[in-house]
Amino acid sequence: MASISLNNIHKFYPNGYAAVRDVSLDIMDGEFVILLGPSGCGKSTTLRMIAGLETISSGDLRIGGARMNDIDPADRDVAIVFQNYALYPHMTVADNLSFGLRLRGVDRGLIGKRVATIAGMLGIGELLARKPAQLSGGQRQRVALGRALVREPKAFLLDEPLSNLDAKLRTSMRTELIKLHRTLGTTIVHVTHDQVEAMTMGERICIMKDGVIVQVGAPMEVYRNPVNTFVAGFLASPPMNLLRGRLSAKSVLLGDTKLPLPQALSAAFASHSGLDVIVGLRPEDFHLKADAAPMSVPLDIATVATEVLGPEVILVGNLRNYDEAEIHIRCSRDFRSDPGTTTTFYYDLSQLQIFDAETTYALKRPLKI
Amino acid sequence: MTMAADDRRLKEAPIAVQTAVERRDRLFGWLIASPSLGLLFLVILFPVFWALFTSVHDYTLLAPNFDTFNGLDNYLKAAGDPEFRHTLWLTAFFVAAVVLLEFAIGFLVALMLHAVERFKSVYYAILLCPLLMNPVVVGLIWRMFLHPSLGIVNYLLSVIGVEPVNWLGSTKVALWTLVMVDIWHQVSFMIVLLLAGLSALPREPYEAARVDGASALRCFWHITLPLMLPVITVTLLIRLIFAVKTYDLVYIMTRGGPGVATDLVSYFIYRTAFVSLNIGEASAMSAILLAVILALTAWLHRYMRSLT
Repeated sequence: MASISLNNIHKFYPNGYAAVRDVSLDIMDGEFVILLGPSGCGKSTTLRMIAGLETISSGDLRIGGARMNDIDPADRDVAIVFQNYALYPHMTVADNLSFGLRLRGVDRGLIGKRVATIAGMLGIGELLARKPAQLSGGQRQRVALGRALVREPKAFLLDEPLSNLDAKLRTSMRTELIKLHRTLGTTIVHVTHDQVEAMTMGERICIMKDGVIVQVGAPMEVYRNPVNTFVAGFLASPPMNLLRGRLSAKSVLLGDTKLPLPQALSAAFASHSGLDVIVGLRPEDFHLKADAAPMSVPLDIATVATEVLGPEVILVGNLRNYDEAEIHIRCSRDFRSDPGTTTTFYYDLSQLQIFDAETTYALKRPLKI
Repeated sequence: MTMAADDRRLKEAPIAVQTAVERRDRLFGWLIASPSLGLLFLVILFPVFWALFTSVHDYTLLAPNFDTFNGLDNYLKAAGDPEFRHTLWLTAFFVAAVVLLEFAIGFLVALMLHAVERFKSVYYAILLCPLLMNPVVVGLIWRMFLHPSLGIVNYLLSVIGVEPVNWLGSTKVALWTLVMVDIWHQVSFMIVLLLAGLSALPREPYEAARVDGASALRCFWHITLPLMLPVITVTLLIRLIFAVKTYDLVYIMTRGGPGVATDLVSYFIYRTAFVSLNIGEASAMSAILLAVILALTAWLHRYMRSLT
């Protein structure tokens, strides 16, 4: 087990393209960290630099305190699980699992024991004689995971390991990975573009965009206080509603609808009064009853459509006299509304997020009000 | 309709009835395939059967007729002919040397080219040059290069102080000279096929192996080689079959000589047919050669498949 620390890491490709820029991140020993971002944001490149599969253009990479920039991947003692599993197609499952140990000259008896333990743990004991082509996607995934586990490395690097699985399998593998982390306590860096994976699995999420880290924090912290509109729009489905508006001393204007600011917020935003802003409203902060939240404001929403998902209903609607963007509202499963009808929702003002329209960054606000 | 009625209907439905559309499609398929099928029959099957038919008759160019049926006489004569047996062994040696050396060199060059990133197309163009040449031209060029007193090869050797070599005139050297020229001519074929195989290999297992701790040599041994086996099999098979049939190089460069030192089987069969004018016996030899190649191909194919 070991900590991983990235200091001002850059990755430039020969054509001058900067895939990763000035990434600094300290991953603690035994921590489960998620690198989250859209495709092409540099998260996989970052992971591959940790593994040693990509060279580091500049900056410092330390694993367990030791500088690793110029160390061969084999000697970094990390294991990587690839998105498409990268199993050795001509070897049996047993050989796939034991290959790394055999290369390291581990005693045969010990190899057999470890392979058996890991195979039992992952439930692939009866597949040991098969070749990868004879396995299902989920089984291959387990073998790939087993191949990483069997070496007992200092850290696991997972490069979108669940994205090739079907939805049901993905959910169960998610749980298994969390359990595995709890049992082994090894450092895990998990790359994904799936915000559900990020929210549910990680102890910390590191959100990247265009090769830069945008925000790092615990899942709920990032969710509650997104640093900019990108993070706000990336996490959760449906994501935060982002509406253009204008800030004044005591309120924020959305079209001709006035959202009065609670005392704590108006004080915090005072210096930005008169500015064009983007107002962030989470879909679950709308309520049908006025007394659901201590500070709320009634908003008339005209229904455009409803999406009945089963456990909940998503209402897509328009704020009165505000056509720039539709608003998504999370309602209980019994909620029904015909298109064209207007419903009054009470928005919980204590959850209001305001972003600077020009920089897209959030205006600082007190966490609790 | 109830389930039972449905079942009954299904049972009563005739199986695999050809509809008019299907029949017309099939007919049309045969129609457009027939010219090429006819051509194939004419240029491949007909000569093969004609040769087999000839091989059981006393057919010579002096008496070109099928009047005398002599059963397996031609085969027995061929099998008992020490000269024919000699050419078979010689051919086996030539084929083994050519295929193995070309494979070794070809794989090495293919691996190197695979690692090259720049000027790949330039290397390709250079490599393909010999392959595009007519074997007769290749033979003539090398005959000039290797001329004992006027050739450039011996001249260059003399510059560095090596005694001139009688490349094509010495019974000890001539076969190896043929092997060398054939390698020069055909090794690109191996390189191109193997390179295509290499570039089709998945990249991920190599990355996994690097993290697993495999050196380049072990990656080659444990990943490249096993994954390349199907391509290697095909490449070896094709080269093997073509090498057995080597004729033009011998004809241009040595005419089987000196003595019978380079008398490969194809050339020997040609001589039996058109110099000794004994078409019947030559046909029998061809049939034996065909059987040997078929058996060899089948064996090699099965053996390589057993490895994967």
